[in-house]
Amino acid sequence: MSQQVTLTIDGKQVTVPAGWTVVDAARVANVHIPVFCYHPKLEPVGMCRMCLVEVGLPERDRATGEIVRNEDGSPKIRFFPKLQTACTTYVQEGMVIRTTTEQVARARKDILEFLLTSHPLDCPICDKGGECPLQNLTMAYGPGTSRFPYEYKLHLEKRVPLGDLIILDRERCIICGRCVRFQAEIAEDPVLSLDGRGRATYIITTSDPPFDSYWSGNTTDICPVGALTTTDFRFDARPWEMHQAASLCNLCPVGCNIMFDIRREPELGGRFAVQRVMPRQNEYVNEIWICDKGRFAAYHFAQYGERLTQPLVRENGKLRPASWREALERVAQAFREAGSGLVTLASGRLSNEDLFNLARLTDHLGGRKVLDTFLAGGEWTDKVGLGRESDLAALGEGDAILVMASDLEEEAPIFWLRVKEAAQRGATLVVANPRPTKIERHAKHVLRYVYGEEGKVWEALLAGASEAAQALARAENLVIFYGQEGLDLATSDAVARAAARLLLTTGHAGKPNSGLVAVWPRNNDQGAWDMGFRPVADLADTLRQVKALYVVAADPAGDDPHLAAALEGADFLVVQDLFLTETAQRADVVLPAQAYIERGGTYTNALRRVQRFFPAVPPPEGPQPDFAIVAALARLLDLNLEGRSTAKGFEALAAQVPAYQGLTYKDLARVEEQFPLVSREVLDYTGTAYPNGQGLGVVLPNAVERGETVAPPEAPEFPVRAFQGLLAVPITRLYDRGTLVAWSDTLAPRLPEEAWVWVAPETARDLGLQDDATARLEIGDLAYTVRVRVNPAVPGGVVLVPRSVGVVLFTPVAVHLKAVVPAS
Amino acid sequence: MNAFYERHKEEIERILAKYPPEHKRSAMLPLLYLAQRDEGYITREAMAQIAEILDVSVTEVDGVVGFYTLLHDKPGGKYRIQVCTDLPCALRGAEQFLHQLEEALGIKAGETTPDGLITLEEVMCIAACDKAPVFQVQTGEGLTYYENMDLEKTLALIAEWRKKHTKTPEGNSS
Ligand code: SF4
Ligand code: SF4
Ligand code: FES
Ligand code: FES
Repeated sequence: MSQQVTLTIDGKQVTVPAGWTVVDAARVANVHIPVFCYHPKLEPVGMCRMCLVEVGLPERDRATGEIVRNEDGSPKIRFFPKLQTACTTYVQEGMVIRTTTEQVARARKDILEFLLTSHPLDCPICDKGGECPLQNLTMAYGPGTSRFPYEYKLHLEKRVPLGDLIILDRERCIICGRCVRFQAEIAEDPVLSLDGRGRATYIITTSDPPFDSYWSGNTTDICPVGALTTTDFRFDARPWEMHQAASLCNLCPVGCNIMFDIRREPELGGRFAVQRVMPRQNEYVNEIWICDKGRFAAYHFAQYGERLTQPLVRENGKLRPASWREALERVAQAFREAGSGLVTLASGRLSNEDLFNLARLTDHLGGRKVLDTFLAGGEWTDKVGLGRESDLAALGEGDAILVMASDLEEEAPIFWLRVKEAAQRGATLVVANPRPTKIERHAKHVLRYVYGEEGKVWEALLAGASEAAQALARAENLVIFYGQEGLDLATSDAVARAAARLLLTTGHAGKPNSGLVAVWPRNNDQGAWDMGFRPVADLADTLRQVKALYVVAADPAGDDPHLAAALEGADFLVVQDLFLTETAQRADVVLPAQAYIERGGTYTNALRRVQRFFPAVPPPEGPQPDFAIVAALARLLDLNLEGRSTAKGFEALAAQVPAYQGLTYKDLARVEEQFPLVSREVLDYTGTAYPNGQGLGVVLPNAVERGETVAPPEAPEFPVRAFQGLLAVPITRLYDRGTLVAWSDTLAPRLPEEAWVWVAPETARDLGLQDDATARLEIGDLAYTVRVRVNPAVPGGVVLVPRSVGVVLFTPVAVHLKAVVPAS
Repeated sequence: MNAFYERHKEEIERILAKYPPEHKRSAMLPLLYLAQRDEGYITREAMAQIAEILDVSVTEVDGVVGFYTLLHDKPGGKYRIQVCTDLPCALRGAEQFLHQLEEALGIKAGETTPDGLITLEEVMCIAACDKAPVFQVQTGEGLTYYENMDLEKTLALIAEWRKKHTKTPEGNSS
């Protein structure tokens, strides 16, 4: 592969790829070169000078170019007269680095003395204290005293809100520029900058809105001091008071690896409570980053939401508390009577172990397994999904990625990052979407289509004539992402089929680093498909006809008033959830479930990587884990299911579900050395992200790899919709008003306060609407008051409606949008 | 595009043509000078409009303005007298010189005379250390160096400017 270079660092020989910096080589050789401004994920800038080392190179004879040798035959090394910054020095063959000399020690001491001239040294009240690179490096390499006159210390603002989520302490900032570069290079939201120069250099944002980036929390991890803090964790706890529990973010289908930091919380009556969410390294998934939604909302719903604490049964039209025994017996009896009239409606928020038990129980009674979703295509991701051992980081020159019908950063932020990085490494990116999205900046080909005409795009791609089609067909590896932009069940199914056809006919199916990825609305939708749950075309119609309905981790009544009405048709309704949802309020029996932070399990992400999460905090008294509730219920119905532990449950499912065949928790626990080396001991190098000691997970084999015959599906018929007038199209925004994020106080200022829609300037004009106007949106028999936002990036003739922001819309339909004349 | 663009359309296009389109942010400094010529300093509106033209964030433009001492984000006098008080100059009496000047003009460094003619500023080394006291004068026209200065020579210079500006009140705007 890439060329290797061997060099010597403090007498240790180390071989690393050409192009590495000396800092990275030293890290691998286990030699610590302290850094502040350097970060292995960012471009080096050499601005803090902390990494100064002695650098020597083999001397060459000027005339012959031969390496000059000492008497003993070893190459003669010539050292640079001055120290060099190891972070901007790239490895060379035969290079010799010294980090333990007097000169280097002196330089480190001096740099630290300089940095501390105006540092407030308020470690005792600083959130970073205890995990602070400046603290650690000062202890290791710094001077014990300062020669700087105390009265010359600068006093600067200690509380500068850069946005709703991040607070800057100007005194603590050492102007390493990491936050600025992270926002520009990684997040591509360059809203931070250095202002001024010399001692008067400050971090600023003058953008409007200010630090408004889905990535902002990551800057607090890589800030080498306590200058950047989150409003979530600020002054909440000291790092050493907390213990850790490994987990996964469950807010989108990426499945970011996270760590919960936990401590007893006086405000919650001394309960163990999550204090903050930190990224946990998994270079296959989220690298060392997480988005702000995960960081600021991954646990709040479980911790602060109004949780159900005991089973409820309906008596004389009212729900009353009951024992588990009574509740379960009632359910069992109703299910027995319903038999094949049972419908289990579950969502992809549940773990694989929960879904497997639910599927078994439903099958046992001959019932129907229904998935609560609006996106289809799960059979095809199982058949031709990303192959085993796939790694998005391996995509580059010669490979191609198609992103279709997805605003990737909004739907699954980390996928946006990974796709963009692949494009930056040289992969050909083709983006097909009716309107521009952030990922498009990196696209080689942009395929613009009209909402509802997805079929035309696929016709062209499958015909193979266009430049974009050929780029996809010819690529060494081909990954196709399809998402949620304007798609409903029927169209997404057709998109998945068409994509599968392309992958199969171009010879890309069944290879690692190639395959189909559905950007699912829920974190474990893929697992739900794998366990046999399927969406139905007309959910309301299905619900009206059931004898018994078992709703688990879903809230149809809360999602859609039509479904609420349809529920009236169910003879018997059981709801298993964390909260007394709209649906639960209509139930005959309500079963309280544990939140995912209170138990373990596995989720399968959209890349089909199965990953494990662990119990983080003790469950409240009462609720039980979903898989155990189902097992207890099954026992009453003469079915033996695993209810003791998720490990056992996973074993049982691995014995039956083809893609999971033979997998165990042990396989999921496999870790390997991942670059950059993350450690809680060397915080200056990568920041406060946690290393991964709990497992990187396993990518499931797709059907092709399992040896099944997978014939290319026929080119699908796309549903034809003939629209009259204005078309409302559902789109996905990261910050919605979904039940999971609604409990986060931290994120609250960033969540939409009211229902809103996007329209193009010309559409607004035609409708007589101004930007920011209040309007009435009529969808069938429902009407909403919405705020109109005029956006030139929106195609004309449509109104884009964000999902879960106050308007019920699952499929594109014709609507009316009218100005509301304010009552005078 | 925007008002700033419309006002200087030709010149902006000429500047942009010098850089490959994917690196058009390289045109930042010439555009900032253009904006500074308009008002004597760079207004917030100009920053936002330049950001729009170059496809960068306004914070980035702000950072560049903040970095260069010759770019100003606040209004000042027609003449900005920038006295070097860095170490070598300080050793040759630059600080005393500055204080004399402050006293004579009745303003402190960083301030502008009430008539709006002169802003006094302190700067770091301007590479004429051996000719201290030294200052540079920044106007819309550009920079002029004045070396081996003393108070008397400086006041004479100022008197000349003052004369010029009472004769042609519209000043030297280009
Ligand atoms: S705020 Fe932190 S990351 Fe940003 S420049 Fe200052 S010290 Fe560096
Ligand atoms: S990208 Fe998705 S999984 Fe990762 S932290 Fe954000 S919401 Fe959670
Ligand atoms: S200069 Fe090398 S780490 Fe900052
Ligand atoms: S120090 Fe004043 S010009 Fe160099």
